[in-house]
Amino acid sequence: MNRKLKNTIASKLMLLATISSTSLVFIMAFVLYRKSVKIFSNRSLIDLLLKSSWAPTKGDFGFYPFITSTVLVTGLAMSLSIPLCLLTAIYLSEYAPSKVRGIIKPILDLLSGIPSVVFGLWGVSFVVPIIRDYISQFVGVTTTGYCLLSGGIVLALMVFPIIISVSDEVLRSVPFEVREASFSLGATKWQTVKYAVIRRALPGIIAAIILGFSRAFGETMAVLMVVGNVAKVPSSLFDPAYPLPSLIANNYGEMMSIPLYDSAIMFAALLLMLVISFFSIIARIIQLKIERRSL
Amino acid sequence: MIVVSFCLPNLFGLSRASNKWVFNMNYKYIGIISILLIISIFTYNTFTYVESKNTITISGAWALYPMMIKWSEEYQKINPNVRIEISAGGAGKGMVDALAGLVDIGMVSREIYPEEINRGAFWVSVVKDAVISTVNRDNPILEDILEKGIKRSIFIDIYVHGNITTWGQVIGNPKITDEIHLYTRSDSCGAAETWANYMGYRQEDLKGIAVYGDPGVAEAVKNDRLGIGFNNINYAYDAKTNLPVEGLMIVPLDLNEDGEVNENEDFYENRNSIINAIIIGAYPSPPARELNLVTKDSFTGATKDFVRWILTEGQNYALETGYVPLSSERCAEWLKTLEGQK
Repeated sequence: MNRKLKNTIASKLMLLATISSTSLVFIMAFVLYRKSVKIFSNRSLIDLLLKSSWAPTKGDFGFYPFITSTVLVTGLAMSLSIPLCLLTAIYLSEYAPSKVRGIIKPILDLLSGIPSVVFGLWGVSFVVPIIRDYISQFVGVTTTGYCLLSGGIVLALMVFPIIISVSDEVLRSVPFEVREASFSLGATKWQTVKYAVIRRALPGIIAAIILGFSRAFGETMAVLMVVGNVAKVPSSLFDPAYPLPSLIANNYGEMMSIPLYDSAIMFAALLLMLVISFFSIIARIIQLKIERRSL
Repeated sequence: MIVVSFCLPNLFGLSRASNKWVFNMNYKYIGIISILLIISIFTYNTFTYVESKNTITISGAWALYPMMIKWSEEYQKINPNVRIEISAGGAGKGMVDALAGLVDIGMVSREIYPEEINRGAFWVSVVKDAVISTVNRDNPILEDILEKGIKRSIFIDIYVHGNITTWGQVIGNPKITDEIHLYTRSDSCGAAETWANYMGYRQEDLKGIAVYGDPGVAEAVKNDRLGIGFNNINYAYDAKTNLPVEGLMIVPLDLNEDGEVNENEDFYENRNSIINAIIIGAYPSPPARELNLVTKDSFTGATKDFVRWILTEGQNYALETGYVPLSSERCAEWLKTLEGQK
């Protein structure tokens, strides 16, 4: 009896812990909604989301530039990082001699531990000048270097370690028998990787990319320092952008002094949360589809 | 916590290695850990006890940051039991932190708005400094700028209306087509607000690439031949040499709008000359302005002592740090405000 009771208590406690940690998401969303509801009083949701003019002291709150900037910076970062990361992960898990792996893995871990401010400073002193002085001339545009592209590059570097180490683990967890079977059919190493290993590891790799994505969306400091922060929809890679996290971080200071500003900032936070959930849900659906297909 | 995380792998490692004496070892480790934990809990308590008594936390404006560092060093020399923690993050952050009670003192380098007073902002001014316009040393029209200065109306066209976009347009020479690379601040801050006030606008009206922090703008202009920005004095002039920071030039304001910089408008050579210009009122206000220390409702205890010291002896350190001390009458006024007898 005693043992059973202990068991029940333990399992209930764990259930409670699970519920409280997952309900946090809903509590956060609810609080953000409550705090931002004031801004809906004389504006429609459509106006807030699709208008481009941003002038808080005049009461203009158009979030369109911030939403597009967020999506663009993140999208750019992911399109830069996904191919590189996957090739690196494949090399590390399938091709690299253990000695090389032993050197590279710790370096990647180190990279993931570097604070985002350091990435930002590095971006300001390295990426921005290179884009301003060389890449812009190569492409034939003039830019200050504080632009969408800088933000994308810095962000891509920041998600590198996550995507690489998770995909590497996933690839290595594919049973060796899969490779053996493929080799025994006369497949080359690359064919084996391409048709057997990756196919098996795909859901895990997508999970790794989702992880990277969710970090990229919210990464504030480094992006803020190089992206230019101009509230206008960027029309090229060399235009400045203004993602939502930067908006929140920069204007946190004006919350007290301009009417409605606090609820606008809260709304930005809510929006960021919704955008991230939207993308992770889509990614999750893709992952499920692939898992089902490969079964 | 670090100790614990170092021990844990050992614990697991051992239990996997040999099952026989794992049991004893585990208890041994657990014993060590708990002793360490108990010690750390006790020491933590003593630390927090000291902190709650004598630590003054400060955050906010970049403009006041170097001054506050100097003051805190000097103050801690004569009051060794006081600890002062300072972080910079822009005037807006200082204001929000102070009103939310997160810090004892918020440094705010702009005027205090009515909304903020309604929320209980209480402040005293402590020193003056100014915002100055900076360009790169390799600017294509540098000589013209230094000779003629830039009029307020041209600044407005550059910063607010955005209808002057090349350096040639600044001096009316269409042959020069180099684009102006305009820099402003991304964080809500006193420098941008004061600079905008000078032109009759607000920070959000300023166009340009927004960079984080005062050092960020200086860095951007320093590295961009076509850049123009604005900085607080202490980020545009080098504290050691008193000259403008390597790579930066200070733009003279054409105050009487006569198209040239005469001897009454020429005071940008080094930090002392501009400070002197602020003292005698030759450099206009804004962009010169008083810097404020803000708290919620009123200063109390150790913080009040510190602020009182700043308004008395602290003033002696202003000039050497690159700030303008308040006049003795002004200090007396603010001291009265501080003591609550406005």
